[in-house]
Amino acid sequence: MGRYIIRRLVQAIPVLLGATLLVYAVVFALPGDPVEVLAGDKRMDPHITAVLRERYHLDDPFLLQYWHYLTGLFHGDLGVTVSGGSVSDILAGRFQVTANLAMTALVMEAVAGVGLGLYAALRHGRAQDSLVLAATLVLISIPPLVTGFVLQLLLGVRLKQAGIDLFPVAGLAEGWRGYLLPGLVLAGTSIAYLTRLTRTSLVETLRADYIRTAIAKGLPRRRVVGRHALRNALIPLVTYLGADFGTLMGGAVITETVFNLPGIGQQLFTSVSLREQPVVVGVVTLLVLVYVLANLVVDLLYAVLDPRIRYE
Amino acid sequence: MRVTKGAQVIAGIALLALGLAACGGQGATGTAAGDPPIRMELAEPQKLFYPGDTIETEGAEVLSAVFAPLVSYSDDKQVVNNVAESIKTSDSRVWTIKIKSGYTWHNGEPLVAQNYVNAWNYVANRDNAQGANSFFSRVEGWEDLNPPEGKPVTVTKMRGLKALDEHTFQVTLSKPFSQFKTMLGYVAFYPLPDAAFKDGKVTESYARQPIGQGYFKMDRPYNKGVDQTIDLTRYDAFPGNKPKFDKLQFKIYTDSETAFNDLRSGGLDVHDSLPPASIASAKAELGERYIDQADAGVGYIGFPLQYNDTYSNIKVREAISMAIDRKTITETVFAGTRSPADDFINPLLDGYRPGICAACTYDPARAKAQYEENNGPKSIELGYNTDGAHKEWIEAIANNLRANLGVEVKVRTFEKFAVLLDSLVKKEYGGMFRMGWFIDYPSVENYLTPVFSTNAIKTGSNYAGWSSKEFDDLLAQGDGATSLKDGLKYYQRADDILIKELPYIPIFYYRVNAAYSQRIRGLKINLINLVEWNKIEKVG
Repeated sequence: MGRYIIRRLVQAIPVLLGATLLVYAVVFALPGDPVEVLAGDKRMDPHITAVLRERYHLDDPFLLQYWHYLTGLFHGDLGVTVSGGSVSDILAGRFQVTANLAMTALVMEAVAGVGLGLYAALRHGRAQDSLVLAATLVLISIPPLVTGFVLQLLLGVRLKQAGIDLFPVAGLAEGWRGYLLPGLVLAGTSIAYLTRLTRTSLVETLRADYIRTAIAKGLPRRRVVGRHALRNALIPLVTYLGADFGTLMGGAVITETVFNLPGIGQQLFTSVSLREQPVVVGVVTLLVLVYVLANLVVDLLYAVLDPRIRYE
Repeated sequence: MRVTKGAQVIAGIALLALGLAACGGQGATGTAAGDPPIRMELAEPQKLFYPGDTIETEGAEVLSAVFAPLVSYSDDKQVVNNVAESIKTSDSRVWTIKIKSGYTWHNGEPLVAQNYVNAWNYVANRDNAQGANSFFSRVEGWEDLNPPEGKPVTVTKMRGLKALDEHTFQVTLSKPFSQFKTMLGYVAFYPLPDAAFKDGKVTESYARQPIGQGYFKMDRPYNKGVDQTIDLTRYDAFPGNKPKFDKLQFKIYTDSETAFNDLRSGGLDVHDSLPPASIASAKAELGERYIDQADAGVGYIGFPLQYNDTYSNIKVREAISMAIDRKTITETVFAGTRSPADDFINPLLDGYRPGICAACTYDPARAKAQYEENNGPKSIELGYNTDGAHKEWIEAIANNLRANLGVEVKVRTFEKFAVLLDSLVKKEYGGMFRMGWFIDYPSVENYLTPVFSTNAIKTGSNYAGWSSKEFDDLLAQGDGATSLKDGLKYYQRADDILIKELPYIPIFYYRVNAAYSQRIRGLKINLINLVEWNKIEKVG
C-alpha cells in the first residue's frame, strides 16, 4: 500500500504545476493590474506607476512572469504582494481557519446527513420520509449566500437582541463558537445531498438478499441495520464526504466573507479583486493539494470498508 | 488481521483530521475579561502604514488615530490649527509653520520641525514611489525630485522646504496657493520620526507598527493579510485634548453588511460605511445612532467636448441636465446614500451654494422644448464602467432621457474605469460618460482645478477636454489671494462659469452613512471622513 500512496503523490505533481500555470494565466488575463487597482478612480502619476511596475515585474511578458514565480516556488518562496506581504505568511496564517471551518461543516454534514437519511430510509414510503425529502429539496434550492445572511440575521442578530448569546454574528473573537453558524451554512446543501444519498443507498441495501438472510437468522433489527446494511451503504457516502471536503474548503469563499472569518476563501475574494496573482495562485494550488489528498484518503477508506478492494 | 489493519488506517485518518482541526487553537485571542475596547469597522487597508503612500480611506483611518495632523477641521467647516501653533504667510507663497511644543513621538523623542521636512522630502521623491507624491508638486524644488522620465533623481531635498529652528519650518511654493493650509490636515502631510528611517528609506517594520505623535499607540506590528484586528492603546503623554477611553480596536471586515449585523448585535461600535441595503433598517432601528452627512464626492455625466461637436451647444447640455430626475434616482436607486447635486461644489464645504445650478432642477417639459428647439442629437450614447456599482443609476438616467427627450439612448459598458478613461484620452469613444470626483483636501479649489482647468486635460481629470481662459484666470486669481476667504470669491466666480457652460453635469453628491452602538455617544466624522476620537464618550 505504501508504494501505491507514493505513486499517487508523485502523480499529483504535474497536476499541481498545471494548476499553477492555469490560474496564473487566468489572473493575468483579468483586466487591470494591482498597480491600477491601487490607483482607484484617480489618474496616478505615470512615473510612480512605472517605478512600481518595474519593482514587481508587471511589465514582463506572461511566461517570464510565470517563470519568476516558478523559480521562487522551487526555492520555497510563494512570492510577495504589491502591498509587501509574504504570500506564505498569509496562507500559513489563514489555512487553519478554513480547515477548522471545513471540518466543522464535515462533521455537521456527516451527523445530520447520515442521521436524517437513516431516519427516512427506515420509514421508507411513509409521511416522515416524504417530509425529509421535501425539506432537503428546499435546502438544495436555496443558495448559501441567502442562507448565510438569513441565519446570521435570525440566529445571530435577533437572538442576541433577545438576550440569548449563542452564535456570534461574525469573526472569531469568541473562539470556536464563531464556527457554528458558518459551518452550518457551508454544510447546508451537502446535508441535503447526503441525506438523499444515505436514504437511497440504504433503502437499496435493505432489499438485498443477504439482509433477508440476516433477518431470517433471527438477528436483532439494530444489528441488521447497523452492522450489515449501513456498512455496505456507507461506500458511496464516503466517496461523497471525501470529495466534499475539498469542495467545502473551496466553497468557503462566500461563507467566510459573510461571516468575516479570516480564512483562505476570504483571502481569495480579496486577492482576486486586488489582482494579487501570487496569492490567488497560492490559494488555488493549496486547494488542489487538499483535493488530491482527500481523494487519496477516500480511496484508502474503500479498502477498509470493503475487504475485497486491495491496492498494489 | 484485516480488520486490525483497517482500524489502523481509520485511526490514522482520524488523528490527521483532529490534528488538522486542533493544531492551531488560536481562536480566542480577544480580550477575555473586562470592558471591550471601542471597536470600529475597517476594510482591509491596501498597504502597510506608510503615511505618504496611504491614499485610501482605510489606511487613513488607522493612521489618523496614530498621528496628529498640523491642522484639523472644525464643525463649522473651517480649518483650525492643531499641532501647528501658527501658519503664517504674507503672499500665499512662503509659508512659515510653527508647531506647538510638548508633542512627543510614541518612543519618547520630542517632535521637531525637521521631522516634517524629512517626511515630506521622502514622499516627494519619485524613487520612493509614494502614492501621495503629487501632493507636494506645488513646493519649490519638487521637480528636482521628479525629473522627466529616463533621468535619474540626483537630489534628496526640495529647495523650498527647510527647518528654521526646532519648532519652525518654512515652505516655499513655486506659485502662490491660498488654499495650501487646507491641505495640511491630510495623511500625506504627517511627519515621520527618525526611527522610521534606515539608510534614507522608511523601513517595512516601521510601516507595520508606525510610531506616531497622536492619540493612540499601536499595540503590535500589523500582519497584513492575516490579522483581523488592529489594537491600539491611548498614548498618555499626548499633550492635547485626549480621548476619554483607553483602548481602540479596528476590526477588519470584507463585507460591510456583515459589519452592520455585528454592530446590531453588540460586536461593533462604529461603522462609517453602511451599504445601501442596510440603510432602511439602520434608520428604523438605530434612531439617532444613525448618521447621514455630506461626503466629499460628486458624481457627474460628462460630455466629450474636445473632439465631438454633437454636444457643443450649451442649450442642448442644459436640456439633458434638466431631463434627469436626480431626486428620484438618489432616493430609489441609492436608497438615500447619495443626494441630488445642484452645484459643482459639494455641500460638505464652505462655499457651496444650494440651488445655484438652475439646470440641475428636474423640468421635463422645458427640457424637451429646449432640446427640440436646439436640434439636439436624435441618438445619444452613454458610457460607464462595470467595475463599480454604476449600472443602476446610469440605466435610470438613460430611461429619463428616453422618456423626457424622446431620444434613442445607447448604453455602452467598459469593463473598468481605466478603459473608459483611456478610450476618452485616445479620442475613440465619443459619447457621454460617467465621471466621479473625490477631493484630496477640503478646499473648493479642489473641485475645480483638477477636473476643469486647461492643464488638467493633460495631467488631471479633465476628460471633457473643456477649456476656458476666463475660468483658468479666475483660478489663478483665487490661488494668488492672500486668505482662504478672498480666494473663495474667485473660485465661486469660476464655479459660475462651469454652471453656465456645463462641461460635466453634476448628478449627485455622496453621503457618509454611519452608525454607532449603544456603548458610546458623540460620534463625529470630520470633513475628510475621519472619526474624531477625542469627542467620543462611553455610556455608563
